[in-house]
Amino acid sequence: MVTEPGGPSRTVGPATYDGRVSRSFQVEPIEESATVEHGEGWVTVVWNDPVNLMTYVTYVFRSYFGYPQEKAERLMLQVHEQGRATVSRGPREQMESDVQAMHGFGLWATVQASG
Amino acid sequence: MRGFRRERGVFVARLESAERPVLLDVVNGVIDLFGEVPDPGDVLDPFTRLTITEEPVDPPEDPALHRLLPDASPDPELAAELRRLTEADLRTGKVARLRLLRGALEQAAPDLVVSPAGAPDVAAALTDVRLVLAQRLGLETDDQADEIRELAMARGAAADDAESTRRFLAAVYSVLTQLQGDLVELMVSELDHGTQ
Repeated sequence: MVTEPGGPSRTVGPATYDGRVSRSFQVEPIEESATVEHGEGWVTVVWNDPVNLMTYVTYVFRSYFGYPQEKAERLMLQVHEQGRATVSRGPREQMESDVQAMHGFGLWATVQASG
Repeated sequence: MRGFRRERGVFVARLESAERPVLLDVVNGVIDLFGEVPDPGDVLDPFTRLTITEEPVDPPEDPALHRLLPDASPDPELAAELRRLTEADLRTGKVARLRLLRGALEQAAPDLVVSPAGAPDVAAALTDVRLVLAQRLGLETDDQADEIRELAMARGAAADDAESTRRFLAAVYSVLTQLQGDLVELMVSELDHGTQ
């Protein structure tokens, strides 16, 4: 028997990603924050999920943002351990395309004003 | 299933004969979730490719599809605007990658062959399929991921149909996880060697 993915959804509650992320944790500033004027820029935030592989998330940060392995892995661990990480900063339009790209890769990201 | 290895310049995994139709079925199920999406390979009037709409685009009702097309901002107004501007493109891209994965599965007899250039698209499609299965399994925390692994390996008769379905989904999820893990390892080695 083969079950369509649509089949068992009735027995499973909706996934609420907000529900699994603490809103009160401290997020360590990343190095680049020193070079960005707070309050003027926008940021791309990537959120943790239990599905994406740590190697894949690191790969995405390396291949899309061009980050070195060490930085990509540090950001991945921050997502994994703290629930989220700021992965890029800049003008709003750039952050919007970064978020869209993350969604293409299957990562959940949001754009928001920094500061 | 034997996971991806590099063989003569391409990435090759080997599927059991029973695995291929099951994976095809699941991938087709995810493609179907998106509804009607034009095939970029079809001859299209260039104007039909203009996907930006003036009308608001409602978030998907299906929670799994909503995870694949998530809100792009905590600000509801900005999230709605970005959904209107970008969701159609995102859908098109995701369906194209899922079709690429489906094509590779259709030709897997028994070798599932992925080119290094196509690997990132296949890996992204594998993520989307795994995200849908995870939602159907109610997988929401890292701890629950361990339970899914155990469920996939459960032996003996299932208590009921629901349990049997969960075991099945967990087993498919595990196969896809291994496929993706091995594929990503090869993609990382491509990055390390600067061949991309």
